[in-house]
Amino acid sequence: MGLSWAYLRPNITLANPDKISYFFRTVDGHLKYGFLDSLAVDVIIMASVELSERDKLVLQAVSRGMTDPRAIAEKHHLPFESVISTADLLAEKGLVLVEKRTDEVCSLTPEGRKYAEEGLPERQILNLVASGLSMSELKDPSLKIGIGWVRKKGWATIDKGILRPSGQATPGKDEETLELLSQGSRSGSELDKDALAELKKRALVNSSTAKSWQFSLTSRGSEIDLDAAFVQGIKQLTPSLIKSGQWKDQRFIPYDVTLSSESVYPGKRHPYQRLIDAMRAIMLEMGFTEIKGDIVQSSFWNFDALFQPQDHPAREMQDTFYLDSLAEIPDYSRVKEMHERGGAVGSAGWGGCWSPEVARQEVLRTHTTSISIHYLADHPEPPVKAFCIDRVYRREAIDATHTPEFEQLEGIIMDRGVSFGNLLGFLKEFYAKMGFEEVRFRPGYFPYTEPSVEPEVWIDGLGWVELGGAGVFRREVTAPFGIEHPVLAWGLGVSRVAMLTLGLKDLRLLYQSDMGWLRETPVSVQRSR
Amino acid sequence: MPVVRLYYQDLEEMVGAPRETIMNRLPMIGADIGKRAEEDHVDVEFFPDRPDLYSSEGVARAMQGFLEVETGLVEYEVHPGKVALDVDLSVKDVRPIIGCAVVRGLEFTDPAIESLMDLQEDLHWGLGRNRKKVAIGVHDISRVEPPFRYLGENPEREFVPLGYEESMSMREMLKRHPKGMDYGHILDGFDRYPLIVDAKNRVLSFPPIINGQLTSVTETTRDLFIDVTGTDPVVHRALNIVVCALAERGGRIESVLVRDQASAFSSPDLKPSRWTVDHEEANRLIGTQMSQEEAVGCLRRMRFGAQKKGPEIEVLVPAYRADIMHSWDIFEDLAKGFGYENIPAHLPGTNTIARAHPLEERKAEVREVMAGLGYLETMPFTLTSEKVNFRNMGRHEGGHTRVRHPISELHTMIRTSIMPSLLEIFSFNQHHPLPQRIFAVGDVVIEGRTRTSLAAASIHSAAGFAEIRSVVDAVLRDLGLDLQIVPSDNGAFIPGRGADLVAEQEANLESGRAGGAGRSGGRRLGCFGEVHPQTIVGFGLEQPVVALELLIDA
Repeated sequence: MGLSWAYLRPNITLANPDKISYFFRTVDGHLKYGFLDSLAVDVIIMASVELSERDKLVLQAVSRGMTDPRAIAEKHHLPFESVISTADLLAEKGLVLVEKRTDEVCSLTPEGRKYAEEGLPERQILNLVASGLSMSELKDPSLKIGIGWVRKKGWATIDKGILRPSGQATPGKDEETLELLSQGSRSGSELDKDALAELKKRALVNSSTAKSWQFSLTSRGSEIDLDAAFVQGIKQLTPSLIKSGQWKDQRFIPYDVTLSSESVYPGKRHPYQRLIDAMRAIMLEMGFTEIKGDIVQSSFWNFDALFQPQDHPAREMQDTFYLDSLAEIPDYSRVKEMHERGGAVGSAGWGGCWSPEVARQEVLRTHTTSISIHYLADHPEPPVKAFCIDRVYRREAIDATHTPEFEQLEGIIMDRGVSFGNLLGFLKEFYAKMGFEEVRFRPGYFPYTEPSVEPEVWIDGLGWVELGGAGVFRREVTAPFGIEHPVLAWGLGVSRVAMLTLGLKDLRLLYQSDMGWLRETPVSVQRSR
Repeated sequence: MPVVRLYYQDLEEMVGAPRETIMNRLPMIGADIGKRAEEDHVDVEFFPDRPDLYSSEGVARAMQGFLEVETGLVEYEVHPGKVALDVDLSVKDVRPIIGCAVVRGLEFTDPAIESLMDLQEDLHWGLGRNRKKVAIGVHDISRVEPPFRYLGENPEREFVPLGYEESMSMREMLKRHPKGMDYGHILDGFDRYPLIVDAKNRVLSFPPIINGQLTSVTETTRDLFIDVTGTDPVVHRALNIVVCALAERGGRIESVLVRDQASAFSSPDLKPSRWTVDHEEANRLIGTQMSQEEAVGCLRRMRFGAQKKGPEIEVLVPAYRADIMHSWDIFEDLAKGFGYENIPAHLPGTNTIARAHPLEERKAEVREVMAGLGYLETMPFTLTSEKVNFRNMGRHEGGHTRVRHPISELHTMIRTSIMPSLLEIFSFNQHHPLPQRIFAVGDVVIEGRTRTSLAAASIHSAAGFAEIRSVVDAVLRDLGLDLQIVPSDNGAFIPGRGADLVAEQEANLESGRAGGAGRSGGRRLGCFGEVHPQTIVGFGLEQPVVALELLIDA
């Protein structure tokens, strides 16, 4: 047993491989889709990486330790946004880890900047008091707000309007923060949380949010064969690349050749036509001449010439498509004589009165045997080997196994001294060429042959399946047309063979074809011979 | 084909062989055993040429011979009877032929009654052409008094038909009784209806419609009167088959004297017919090398009487066989008796050189070109309707071949053009991705003549005239055709975007016989263009379509 393997599409991130669904292909070639940890996959094959020029720049920068997109953008004169999007794509290819942060950026308000220079009001008050100033002398209203803070911070007590320093007034975190921010904006995370909150409350510090990125290589990104992937490559080979010879200096970006592409379907022969052509090939190979005839036939050629009595059930409207038209028929005297009295061949005939008017009625041919007998009447001298594959018509309601028209194969051999045994020998050979190695013969009945046989072929799973009919044309059929040697004849419903060889369940599919079936049915068929 | 129900136990008793042996060999006398065998019975189809096998009795008789339990001719004795039947002149016009018999001493088991009824029905179908040629009546003779009379009666005559309690007139029966409604048409146009009555003018039968209730057969019936009436001498054959089957059940056959004004004959006549055949001729036909003795044995196995008569064989064909009209019919039985599986199967030595039909070679060229252009082949029905072939296509009706009794409104005529069938196929396939490009090459019938046509069509959002023009050019180039392209007024196309393909002027003589005259006066062999939105919508489509059609047999 081979290994099953999965391949990862390059646009799928590897950040958490187990939890991501993948397309993967099993050993027997089926594409499946699922979570990696739910698949019994032996090998994971990474889809090869295609890197653009920009991918290459960014990946190189990250591998040299540049983690900040701004820096990369500056160094390589790239728009900042495109560095970000390139890094995102590299991340999806599993090469770069992109850490994205949202930060609070803090800076001083104008008032805060003033106090950073002059000191907080409470610090100024304390200094003034230390220099002997009384409370009542504090005129500056902006300083007055410091009085509360002096007391709150415990720097001094106020007794009857007199401020008495406590002697403890070391600079607080708020003052340190103010000092820091006076040097420039800082991330909120670098500052004391409580002091910052206090200063914000006093409207001395402003904050805003800002995004920041930090890039680093994934293990795969650091393992990647830099030379192989990073060389500038050609995607689409163009005429100018060929003409200019530039292709010599560059590398072709390798593709994932295992990826499937859009499905295309060739124009092709119908699967059923391929079967018909295979049967034609067999007949031609065996030396038969191909014959054809009209769809519209007189009852004469379709029935009477084949010694079918005029009141035969098969001739009823029930089973045959009759037309409103009448045909010209040839000299019928010998056929009439044969039907009525059995001619000169020692037959009893059907008796009754044979009517040329009935024979003139036109029908859609109910079998290709009408073509065979017409051909024999035109070619009564031996030898004749002829065949015909064409449509025949039966007045049947349409369903899965019946269609009002279908193809019939018909063959005849007329020669001196040929026998029923020769017919069986021929049928064995023919069916073997069709791929049916085992054939057996059961007596059958057809109105125009004697003896008659129904060949059956062995099909695994189905057993013996009746396939066609055959026999030797009766003397009552051949004699009126001056055919003096035996005619071996057989016929076969081609659509029945199609059902067996194409595995059809519904004959209608042959004629009202589903485009998907036509597109998907392979041209190649296994032949046993 | 008639299906005969064979009960294994019944069959084993009659044949005198085990069930497996019988069933194994049965197909080799010419039978199609149904796939579904039941516990106690199996249904077997027999061929229309062997009505003598339409009963289990007949099958048993044949298998006795085939399995060599008992071979040769069965001689059924016809005992002289006292029953007579008079044929009245009044029935000669409507249903002239009658044969009858009396069979006594029967014991009707269930399989026997079922077999008799099935045999009757199958003979009505097989030999009787649905009772027109032959109709059989079976009666309990103890209820009536001979002699009987067969006459043409006034349709107002009343009696109680089988299965009813009150009497009604014969005319009424044709209207009300189920059998009357099924078979009454046989009596259309006659003013006297056939009737069989007894000495007291009581009705036995109203052939070919229904028996009287009076003589209905029950399990206590022992003695039967059988009448077979019709329009053809095959009536007697049917009678023979029925009485021989009853004789196999132990019945004693008695003759009936059938009289008319001019003559009289004794019925049934079970004398075998006598044939003389040459076994060497049989060997030549079958391809065997049987000796005269072997041939005699094979014939006896098939229940013929057979014996050497000099270099030839005298064959006695039993009176129940309806299929022996020529010596080859006997030879076929000889082959069956020999066993089809024992016939040496050798390829014939006939040497001939093959030749494909030029038209099929042309079609193969067309398929190569169309497949090369990316078109998928389809093989639609040639049966279609005026709606699809003409109306949906914006074309005038004409030149088409209609069938007289269509089975559905979808199949009323043979197509004169393949293009509509392709549009129909598009309509079945709207769930598949576009573009879709298909073609078909096959028969059309124009003015009663079979012609061969190519049609191709392409459907997708950008289908346009240039696309189909390119395809037409490719087809003409590769098929070596030199046709003129002229503007067309074909209603299937958008005005100004359709063209006709017309043969050169020299072919003018034939115009009218083929597709009709094009604008230039030459023979119009085809057309192509952008399909009219009215037509697109008519086929339930929603995308642009371009299409071409071309007669390729010109």
